[in-house]
Amino acid sequence: MLTRLGKWINKRWPLSDLIRLGLEEEILGGSSYAYVFGSLLLFTFAIQAATGVWQLFYYVPTVQHAYDSVNYLRTEVPFGWLIHGLHYWGANAMVILLLCHAIRVFTWAAYKNPRELTWLAGVGLFLITLAMSFTGAPLPWDERGYWATEVGTSIAGTVPFIGNLTKQLMRGGETMGQLALSRMFVLHIAIIPGALFAMVGIHLVAFRRNGSVGPWDEAKRARKGQFWPDQLFKDTLSCTILFIILIALVVLAPPPFAGPADPLDTLYTPKPEWNFLFLYESLKFFPGKLEPVGTVGIPALGILVLVLLPFFDRKAEHSPGRRLRAMSLGALAILGLIVLTIVGYYSKPGAGQKKGETSPAASIAQTKNISMGRTLFQSQGCAGCHRVNGSGGNVGPNLSGEGMKGRSMKWLRTQLRSPKAHDPQSVMPAFSALAAQQIDQLADYLLSLKSESAPAVGGASSGATAGSSAAAANVAARVPGKAAFIIGSAEHGALLFEKNCVKCHGPRGTDHVSNPGSTDLMVPALNPIDRSLYNISPKLFATTIDLIIQHGSHPAGPHPVLHMPAFGDTQSLTQEEISDLEAYILNLNGVNRGEITHPGLQPRIFLGAVAGIFALVMVAALGMYFLRKSSGTGKKNS
Amino acid sequence: MDSASPTPGERWESTRRQFMKVLTFILGTVMAAVLAVPFVSSLFGPALRRKNVHWTRVGKLPVLGSGHPTKISFTDMVEDAYLRENVTRDVWIVKLPSGGLTAFSPICPHLGCHYNWDAASGHFVCPCHGSVFALDGAVLGGPTPRPLDTLPVKIENGELYIGWERFEPGISRKIRV
Repeated sequence: MLTRLGKWINKRWPLSDLIRLGLEEEILGGSSYAYVFGSLLLFTFAIQAATGVWQLFYYVPTVQHAYDSVNYLRTEVPFGWLIHGLHYWGANAMVILLLCHAIRVFTWAAYKNPRELTWLAGVGLFLITLAMSFTGAPLPWDERGYWATEVGTSIAGTVPFIGNLTKQLMRGGETMGQLALSRMFVLHIAIIPGALFAMVGIHLVAFRRNGSVGPWDEAKRARKGQFWPDQLFKDTLSCTILFIILIALVVLAPPPFAGPADPLDTLYTPKPEWNFLFLYESLKFFPGKLEPVGTVGIPALGILVLVLLPFFDRKAEHSPGRRLRAMSLGALAILGLIVLTIVGYYSKPGAGQKKGETSPAASIAQTKNISMGRTLFQSQGCAGCHRVNGSGGNVGPNLSGEGMKGRSMKWLRTQLRSPKAHDPQSVMPAFSALAAQQIDQLADYLLSLKSESAPAVGGASSGATAGSSAAAANVAARVPGKAAFIIGSAEHGALLFEKNCVKCHGPRGTDHVSNPGSTDLMVPALNPIDRSLYNISPKLFATTIDLIIQHGSHPAGPHPVLHMPAFGDTQSLTQEEISDLEAYILNLNGVNRGEITHPGLQPRIFLGAVAGIFALVMVAALGMYFLRKSSGTGKKNS
Repeated sequence: MDSASPTPGERWESTRRQFMKVLTFILGTVMAAVLAVPFVSSLFGPALRRKNVHWTRVGKLPVLGSGHPTKISFTDMVEDAYLRENVTRDVWIVKLPSGGLTAFSPICPHLGCHYNWDAASGHFVCPCHGSVFALDGAVLGGPTPRPLDTLPVKIENGELYIGWERFEPGISRKIRV
């Protein structure tokens, strides 16, 4: 049977033994489609490994470029969308298949003597897969992954005694940054996959030693089947179906562009990935001091139960009908898992976790804050450098009109805490020793300063600064910001639009808000946008509107009451936020910011081709099969 | 059971198994092929992509005098896959007698120095090795092997666009680097 080359190798290396180990197994009760989940997992794992390695041709694990590099792969590399999408959906499929596999094994009682080691390696693989899912999420450094990891590591931080250490070890510091990304990256692509490969080996060898457990019904066990080709054929057929489903998901439900990670974001709802939602939701049952019960207690107990299961449940009985206690406990656990996940999916994070500056209660306390802030402004020596309403130093900028510059609370907080974050050359001392409340009071005070003719942005200032036409000409010469090249999230952009743009541009950019004193007498509508700004190419479209969002613009006319603030120049919006807004505005005008510019083959055409090829193969195969069958039976009859 | 002559049932069973083996192989191969094509082309695609002239908007066309060149600085975005960097570049713009425009790369084609405009003589002069060029870029003297390098230039809606390129210095032919 062996070819000459095979014989040659076999003399020097146990090739045929290995093939025998892989293929030869007698299956009690014959092959079954119930047994395919293990193979499906192995198959998905192979897809994950291949697509994972391939993504490394383009991906870089840096905070600056991770998001852009993934999006470059997704939109500008032929079939990059497929490679990334398969990895994304494969990861999701893996968790589901794992659950199916575990339920199958549990129902058949395949964890019992002598298959304990197979079960233990399986529990190991379960934990490793969850670890892969956890460490993979932050790698694109998008909002989704960033916040999932922020919440995930925070959960780890609640563990008593070692929690904080664990959290900081995972993050590489107190906050999430480059070191966190590097750590997750190395774990995800080197260390955990190594453990995964080893564990798969142990699992498979242990499985082969004792084979499939077979049906619990003695009568059915009498029949015998072979792994090759009976079972492997069923496995391959199932893998093919899964393969087509995965491709269909990639094409019909591509992973969203979640927008670049923005640690300062207050609008985003941070939540873990769906497969950790059960943990996240169960924490809510244990508020305050009891929290560790949810974070460590229950997961540790769950793992302990899984590990000890084969040693506790030692009766040789395999029939689920006669293992009612085990079966009902297992069903209860699965049901709990599913219910918690669904509840977690629909729940909003607890109140008080993220209080935005728009909270109505805040405005009542506002006046008090402002006066406290004024006191701080004097006591902290701010007036030594900054002039307000005619008194104070001249070292720093005049702050008399600070409330009219369109600064956000967030921007001011950062400016006060670490001025160098905005301007590395800044000589302003960092007021990092102030309490959060004091910083907010100072910021409230600064925002209340609206006097004098300090350059106004967006406010009602007649007789604006320089000549409008000169300013407008200036815009064209200025360069687009970083945001123009980032694929933002239109969904998140909608929220930002609601908060920052709706007043002048109307809901969904459709309203015609009047702007007395301008030639058009109206604020330009964004939906549909002026034809001279529109472009069918998302990149060019984004670049054009980016210039206006970054640098602002002054409408033509004698005394326009309203003018477009320079959101980028004044840093009242981050580049990440601007990219989200741009994606939203493009979306309003029917242009997809995440359009695939180099698809290789259009996704839908690819899906059609794949479906066609497999349909053809199956039709040909079944045709041959029935042809042989009829000719075979014909012979038998004669 | 006599192994010498299998019954038709046994013969059919062996055919059925043979069929399963073949189909398993075919399905595996087709799946591998369906993935192999995208995987390979994901590497070839960007590698074989040819860079077109990339136009940079310089801004409003300045007023140009005749008889002397105008030096214009602009910010050019250098793109390398997903990396972008803004670089400031200079070009010399010359109004042709015909009314058209020529843009010269500011880099001397001899050995890559930046040459200057000598208003007194009305020539471009390179300070490094003394190459001299006329207003239209023609060689008037010095070691330079070729005239000044022109750059693609166009005007759209009253705005000037330049297609920045670099050329191999020190050779008589103008070859893009």
